[in-house]
Amino acid sequence: MGDRRKILQRVGLYVLVLLILVWTLGPFIWLFLTSISTQAKLNTIPIQWLPSPPTFEHYQAMFDPTSSTGALFLAAMRNSLIIASSTTIVCLIFGVLAAFSLARFSFRGRNALVMGMLATRLLPTIALAVPFYVLIVGYVERVAPMYDTRHNLVILYTSFIIGLVVWIMQGYFQTIPKDLDEAAMVDGCTRFQALTRVILPLVTPGLVTTGLLAFLLAWDEFLLALIFTRTSNAFTMPYFVFIVGSSQYYQSPAAVAAGGFMAALPPVILALVFQNRLVSGLTAGAVKG
Amino acid sequence: MTAKVSRKRDSGQMSQRRGDQAFAFSLLSPALLIMLVVVFLPLAYAFFLSLNKAEIVVVGGKGSVLAEWRWLKNYLYFLVDPSFWYSVRVTSYFTGVSLAIELVIGTIIALVLDKEFWGRPVVRALLILPWAVPTVVNARLWGLIFEPHAYGALNGLLQTLHLIGPTEAVNFLAPIPIFQNVPGLGQITTWLGATRAINWLILGDTWKVAPVVALLVLAGLQTVPKELYEAAEVDGATAWGRFWRITVPMLRPVILVILVYRTMELFRVFDILYILMAYTIPVLAVKTYQEAFVFGGFGRGSALAFLIGLFILIIAFVYIRLVAVTEEA
Repeated sequence: MGDRRKILQRVGLYVLVLLILVWTLGPFIWLFLTSISTQAKLNTIPIQWLPSPPTFEHYQAMFDPTSSTGALFLAAMRNSLIIASSTTIVCLIFGVLAAFSLARFSFRGRNALVMGMLATRLLPTIALAVPFYVLIVGYVERVAPMYDTRHNLVILYTSFIIGLVVWIMQGYFQTIPKDLDEAAMVDGCTRFQALTRVILPLVTPGLVTTGLLAFLLAWDEFLLALIFTRTSNAFTMPYFVFIVGSSQYYQSPAAVAAGGFMAALPPVILALVFQNRLVSGLTAGAVKG
Repeated sequence: MTAKVSRKRDSGQMSQRRGDQAFAFSLLSPALLIMLVVVFLPLAYAFFLSLNKAEIVVVGGKGSVLAEWRWLKNYLYFLVDPSFWYSVRVTSYFTGVSLAIELVIGTIIALVLDKEFWGRPVVRALLILPWAVPTVVNARLWGLIFEPHAYGALNGLLQTLHLIGPTEAVNFLAPIPIFQNVPGLGQITTWLGATRAINWLILGDTWKVAPVVALLVLAGLQTVPKELYEAAEVDGATAWGRFWRITVPMLRPVILVILVYRTMELFRVFDILYILMAYTIPVLAVKTYQEAFVFGGFGRGSALAFLIGLFILIIAFVYIRLVAVTEEA
């Protein structure tokens, strides 16, 4: 009796696991299957789950710089890589310095500053997008070209990512005993050298996690790219996925799926490779507050 | 703490402390300057704009701002505008229903993953995949799945499961109010702006987030001491009783953080609704975008943006207080 119940429980557990896997992976697998289907197969009733034969024409088109899709895709990929990496570097450099300062020194207003950093991450993008637009198009544009440039997006993305970097990194710095700074300074390091030569190597895992989160956030951003870019000078992968689905660039569901799959590939690969780090970073942020 | 102690010591320590302060400030100042320019200045400017009727005029490639002082008229305009309150309700409906579903699905997944089974590390690793998919791709992906023709993916699935006829098709993203044949409830859902479309879109949005909620809850579950369950089992508590009496109270801090973080993210939802529904589901972010960038009313747009920002900062403040209380306890 007890044995039978145990077996049933095991079977039930594996059925649940299977359901979780289908729910988690199914939609993404469908995106890929759609992207390698021909239009005729997609319009078949009843539905054909596996495309046979598969076609890779949409992927070929995206990597062909002479086709219209290819020109758009390659520009968007280049822009996204440049913008997301630059934003990550800028946020890490300035964010890490500030985080170290907040983690190591106590001064009046320190707690308010830490909370302020967190609050900037929570601000809705649209609340900043409106004044950004008026300031940039109405004033800054006269002095320096900003609209439809990559550096403009890097600056704007910094606004909502740097606060998060400071917030997470100061948590990592607090796990390193302060004695280490002092020991380094006794050995003849300046305060700044104590940070760069002794403390930073110790928080490398934290730097990697924080850098990844910053990169993924910048890669994902859509609203500001929609407002501030127009041409292949600066538009990003999310903007590309938006226009291939709903404008004069629209071709077919399969082409949209292929574009979407390519836009998702870099973050998905990064997340799967570094999943342990990301989960620990996310849980450290959430569990510790 | 250290600063307070060193204050009582000799003057050598005092100058060291002053050096520390200068160093601390020099490390902080670049980040503070950046935030001043890209966060606080725009916010202050948004407040100024919100008190004006503001338009952008572009002449010969040069833009200039035409502003006309209007006191609080932009705010009053929205506060008496039924469509603004409709936006507030739709946004709240989207936020509330999504949150509830995310938490339930996330907790179920976490409880399953807390058990030992073959392949658990792989399943846990794969859970991060939906979270990594960009929101725009998520919108497109669900747009494909919700394809309203008989050859669409979800329609195909419903046909295979014999839930609809073999050539039938459901138009998932139709703006049809729900529960219309239930007296009372039908009126409430209409008032809330609950439609078939928004419900299916909530499912799409949940797909991306529920697994990460599960990972966070799972991390919380693993902090619950196993002895508590064993003791409760000895005392004869049922599995259900153990879940409500031990698991849920121990998960309180994690769930609190998820609740408030997600409330804020859901409240500013834009991408999936704008991409798939354009302006037909006017959540606050979509309405603000339309007001400013489609109608060109930057004063009104700023007033809306400021109202959302204010609302979110209030939630953030409550959240910080709640977390502080939990940490002290």
